[in-house]
Amino acid sequence: MIEVKNVKKKYGRKQVLKGVSFTAEKGEITCLIGINGVGKTTIMKAIMALTPIDSGEILIDGEKIRKESFEKITFIPDAITMLPQMKIVDAFTFMADFYKSWNPERAKELLQFFKLDASERISDLSKGNTAKVNLLLGLALDVDYLLMDEPFSGIDIFTREQIADVFTSHLIEDRGVVITTHEINDIEHLIDRAVLIDNGEVLKEFSVEEVRENEGKSVVDVMREVYQG
Amino acid sequence: MNVKFNNRDPVYVQVIRLFKEQIARGYFEPGQEIPSRRELANQLKINPNTAQRAYKEMEEQGLVFTEGNMPSRITKDEAVLKRVREELIVEAVENFIGSIKTINVPLSEVLELVKEKYDTESGEEEGSE
Repeated sequence: MIEVKNVKKKYGRKQVLKGVSFTAEKGEITCLIGINGVGKTTIMKAIMALTPIDSGEILIDGEKIRKESFEKITFIPDAITMLPQMKIVDAFTFMADFYKSWNPERAKELLQFFKLDASERISDLSKGNTAKVNLLLGLALDVDYLLMDEPFSGIDIFTREQIADVFTSHLIEDRGVVITTHEINDIEHLIDRAVLIDNGEVLKEFSVEEVRENEGKSVVDVMREVYQG
Repeated sequence: MNVKFNNRDPVYVQVIRLFKEQIARGYFEPGQEIPSRRELANQLKINPNTAQRAYKEMEEQGLVFTEGNMPSRITKDEAVLKRVREELIVEAVENFIGSIKTINVPLSEVLELVKEKYDTESGEEEGSE
């Protein structure tokens, strides 16, 4: 379980996180929802200790993040971080050198899943295929938790469908997934929990099936109440 | 299976309903093997935990059964199968009555129309929500 407890963070004078708390379970897909610029990416970076926090606590399976944790949890940013002149296969070598948790079999399986050719240069890929490679590099790590920043953003509908298919496949297995999005429509049926964020605060955290069951509301209904009510 | 689920009813309830419809129309036969939780999630594009929940409920309702480590199967229990069919019929009729009552039509006129339209319309399939 990832526990984010009362995390506060300032950039200069701006309070970007105002005491954020939520949990994300293993074996579940938790979705951080909010319009852009509300602190979603900062939260992910804080979980990964890529950005220092001013106060509060973040625990992964009950422990603070340390060097060894990076074999357990990974962050997939919203854009690929590999050099454009690299071929996909070079990126694989890079990942294998860098991470003990790199799983070459799964990487191969993901290539097939996404119908990608490992000999292609990253700079030659379409936007959609670049997004797939970016996701693949994180998914091929044998980690327990995956944080994905806007995996559905800025890509065509067919790529979105293919990426959505990953979430229902064995490629996710029973890992804990946290994704951020500002567009929930396509993925309402894929997620377990929603965390609604605005202006550096968690406004509501809920199980999407429970809200449907107990209140007869869709995720968008709840968002409308919370953001516009 | 190409299904579009609505956003306001629990997805697991909609999955169970889908299974009942498939059983009633004979798409699923008694004793037939059903997809694994992961396969079902993948086919229906739903969360795997939701697929799991649907299977658990169906197992409790006696709609499906699992023996040891074997894949789950549709029940062979005639009484359960009969009940599923009746339940769907009654529900469809109630829905129909609910909507026809809002326009205040005498029953005799409705029955006439039903008899007249039933054969011509029955070939058309209504898509699940």
